[in-house]
Amino acid sequence: MDFVSENLLTLLILLPVFGAVGLIAHQMFWKQEEHLKWVTLAITVVIFLLSLLLLGEGGTKAGGFSFVKNVPWIEAINTNYHVGVDGLSLWLVILTTFIMPIAIISTWHAVEKRPLAFYAFLLLLQSAMIGVFVSLDLLVFYLFFEASLVPMFFLIGIWGGANRIYAAVKFFIFTAVGSLLMLVAIIALYFMHQQATGVGTFDFVTLLGSIESGTLAFSASTGLLLFIAFALAFSIKVPLFPFHTWLPDAHTEAPTAGSVILAAVLLKMGTYGLMRFNFPLFPDAARELAPIFIILAIIGIIYGALVAMVQPDVKRLVAYSSVAHMGFVILGMFSFTEWGMQGALYQMLNHGISTGALFLLVGFIYERRHTREISEFGGIANVMPLYATFFVITAMSSVGLPFLNGFVGEFMIMIGMWKSSILAVTATVNWNYIATMAAGTGVIFAAVYLLWMIQRVFFGKVTNEKNRGLTDLTPREIGLMIPLLFLMVFMGVYPRPFLDRSRDAVVAIQERVVKQAGGTVEVVETFEKE
Amino acid sequence: MQLSDPNVNLAIILPEIIIAITGVVVMLYDCFFPKNRGITGTMSLIGIAAAAISIALIWPGGSVPASAWGGMIVHDSLRLSFSVVFLLVAALTILVSTVWVEREDVPGGEYHALLLFATFGMLLMSSGNDLVVIFLGLETLSIATYVMAGLRKSDLKSNESAMKYFILGSLASAFLLYGMALVYGATGTMNITEIAAKAADPNFPALLLVGAAMLVVGFGFKVAAAPFHVWTPDVYEGAPSPITGFMAAGPKAAAFASFLRIFVIGFPVVGGLEAAGYLNYSWTTALAVMAIATMTVGNVAAIMQNNVKRMLAYSSIAHAGYALVGFVGAGVAASQSNRDAAIAAVAFYMLSYAVANIGSFAIITLLGQKNDRRTEFEDFNGIGFKSPVLSFTLSLFMLSLLGLPLTAGFIGKVLVFRPALEANNPLLTVMVVAAVINTAISAYYYLRMIVVMFFKERATDWVEPRIPSALAAVILVTVIGTFYFGIFGNRVIERFSRQPIAEAVSQR
Repeated sequence: MDFVSENLLTLLILLPVFGAVGLIAHQMFWKQEEHLKWVTLAITVVIFLLSLLLLGEGGTKAGGFSFVKNVPWIEAINTNYHVGVDGLSLWLVILTTFIMPIAIISTWHAVEKRPLAFYAFLLLLQSAMIGVFVSLDLLVFYLFFEASLVPMFFLIGIWGGANRIYAAVKFFIFTAVGSLLMLVAIIALYFMHQQATGVGTFDFVTLLGSIESGTLAFSASTGLLLFIAFALAFSIKVPLFPFHTWLPDAHTEAPTAGSVILAAVLLKMGTYGLMRFNFPLFPDAARELAPIFIILAIIGIIYGALVAMVQPDVKRLVAYSSVAHMGFVILGMFSFTEWGMQGALYQMLNHGISTGALFLLVGFIYERRHTREISEFGGIANVMPLYATFFVITAMSSVGLPFLNGFVGEFMIMIGMWKSSILAVTATVNWNYIATMAAGTGVIFAAVYLLWMIQRVFFGKVTNEKNRGLTDLTPREIGLMIPLLFLMVFMGVYPRPFLDRSRDAVVAIQERVVKQAGGTVEVVETFEKE
Repeated sequence: MQLSDPNVNLAIILPEIIIAITGVVVMLYDCFFPKNRGITGTMSLIGIAAAAISIALIWPGGSVPASAWGGMIVHDSLRLSFSVVFLLVAALTILVSTVWVEREDVPGGEYHALLLFATFGMLLMSSGNDLVVIFLGLETLSIATYVMAGLRKSDLKSNESAMKYFILGSLASAFLLYGMALVYGATGTMNITEIAAKAADPNFPALLLVGAAMLVVGFGFKVAAAPFHVWTPDVYEGAPSPITGFMAAGPKAAAFASFLRIFVIGFPVVGGLEAAGYLNYSWTTALAVMAIATMTVGNVAAIMQNNVKRMLAYSSIAHAGYALVGFVGAGVAASQSNRDAAIAAVAFYMLSYAVANIGSFAIITLLGQKNDRRTEFEDFNGIGFKSPVLSFTLSLFMLSLLGLPLTAGFIGKVLVFRPALEANNPLLTVMVVAAVINTAISAYYYLRMIVVMFFKERATDWVEPRIPSALAAVILVTVIGTFYFGIFGNRVIERFSRQPIAEAVSQR
């Protein structure tokens, strides 16, 4: 057990890789394609259970990392394999391991083409995603960040829809452009550290320590450039308006499991990166550029909602709703209040669960009808009552109905923004209020596009004869949705266990950003569950 | 001029001697027992292995002086690391070409002998510390490669390739030789260490600048840097695939070795002396601009290619550009250890490029069929799952060329970008940013290879070719190399920078 807890994160990263190798070996010796999904499912479930061990200590150390492993990797450039987990990454790792088995089950009958490669790529993707959330060395982080592109590229390209090649290449190039500039910034940081202290390093904890203690200082313009280089990579990944155009294509063309993982986990890499690296490393630049990010986030919220409203394709509609939701996350983060940032983290988890669930549900109907056009449907509630129920609950969670998880996150973000002092406050107008109100309209739009879509798809009479013979959800599909629905309700009424774990890490980042604002430390109000 | 002890030392040139003797033996054997491809190939491989062992023996720690032969031959990490690249490239090329030599019925003995002579030339180019030795190495290499490019005598494209390569290569050699003559005229010496001492003189003659400019032109041709790159696509497309792989990996690395030696060691940074610093400043600036142009031209043109070999030709131009980034970094390095690290980075970059490139050409040789007929992108449509081993390996090489983490290409890129950023010079920073943007551009055409293999459907029939054992060995070595250098690159770099580069060591 000691071995497991000492190397827990490494195990979580390596197990999927070994699993993928095992799958290939299994296929070479037994040639039983129908075993593959069972083996993959078993591997991902084991990984999920293992990841629950993180709850033992993860996020409980104030400002520190648990399950740390730090061994030299390439000594010539002083880069180390340094991993660890804190309150910020803890839930994202568990979200990743939780969503994987669900994604695997969702593909139970959907993948007929090349199942071996499909499951192997899914496992490799999982390894890269966990790696992103736990890396504490910038070069290793970059490595996983890039490595996550390749399996997803193949997943979209081989198992995607009609326009898959365009979507896959666009996905890859958009993300690669941003992350390469981040690489330059990472190497630049290395040299600044070398000039300041004599030792170059990619280690995040060391860099942060040097910046906090003032040993490593850079001019405001350098800080801005570095911040932008990092933020560009993450904004594309989030995606923040106007870098979002890859998202609808990738989501629409990806196979269901790919869309679920893309929405649930891959997008979170962007927001996670901003919070983990951008804020603590470049707090001054973060504050200086916050208004721009807030404006872009609000544009994203409203624009995403408006465009979602007119989509004829359900999956595309959900994809655009992601743009709007991730806008909320960005807004909360850049409010630099505990409410806002905790809410942003919580909303990341919510979005992962709700949007993941929506993509699953869209996948269910697509498997039955092989179309996602809203106009093809109508009155589905009559033939698939259970499906309709699940869909409405999930949509409500996405809209932010009280007692469901989406409400908690959006509410906290809006309180955070309202209380924030990041935007100008003049005698006549407090721009923080304006920003909150503008974002609030996004919630209304979300209700509009989702409810309107539900009305057109589920209610009324069955207009299309093809829909009459549809069967309701199978036990497998129900089993798939139950944990997600349970979490939507649980996280909606009892967010405390989640927020308690993440508070220390988030407050540390928040204080770090606020403290440098000319000494005006904002009172960090503790809050109870609303 | 007084006579000095030439300090003859055979051990220091043991690898060169072994390769040259093997080459002669192979050639003679082929005269008496022609068409014994298997035997000449094996003999060549044994020779290369022996040379590799001799390098391992004289690796730092052995009893070899830092320089010998009157300072004409040096023994430092620049020589050692590049020699490793050359021997690896030569051995892999022999293995790859077994397929092709049989299929096309090319005279095996001649081919192997030529390859060995080319390797001899490359080794000499990296160990020579004297302009004449370097030129000798270069010519031995070039003449052998001209012939190899045209080995497929009945094929017009191959002839065209050899002809173009010969004419333009000779032109480049002429520039080089003229440059060397001018440098000699300006400094009165052919020895690079002494040139460095002369170049540090604040009143060096302006002739040196002209000579250096000529050398830039000559080497620019040899490494295919823009604007001297135009010969590359035609030559690479026309030459037989294994030779193309060889030309892009071996001779290019050799040209880089001499280029590095003459410029970085011969025209070093001179602190405090404005006039002398001007020489270093001029060539680093010129090369930085050339690096940006080379990367951009290579990558943008590669996007538009429909032939895989042409695409890889432009990609090799782009890679010369990335290597130049590290080169310029070495040129402006503030301390000797930084400079040595930057040179080791360029050597590592060439090694990582060689592995991925030869691996790709091995697969393309196999899939290309006779006369390289099947080398359009369309010919690769949908073969992904019909031949998973070949396609996934080729994809891996593409990702390594692209520089994705966990592959050799990534570590190589990080290493060459590092010295350029270290200099903290605006132009060099711009150069690195240009390199990064270019990497993103290159994603398009490297991914295209994966796209056609895996995402497109195939309309016509396609039978997976049998993978001969020699080629399987190449694929195994290159795949392991790609991952090993990408994950454990540390060990290689450490070995590549063990013997300090002899700059002040003059044996006269």
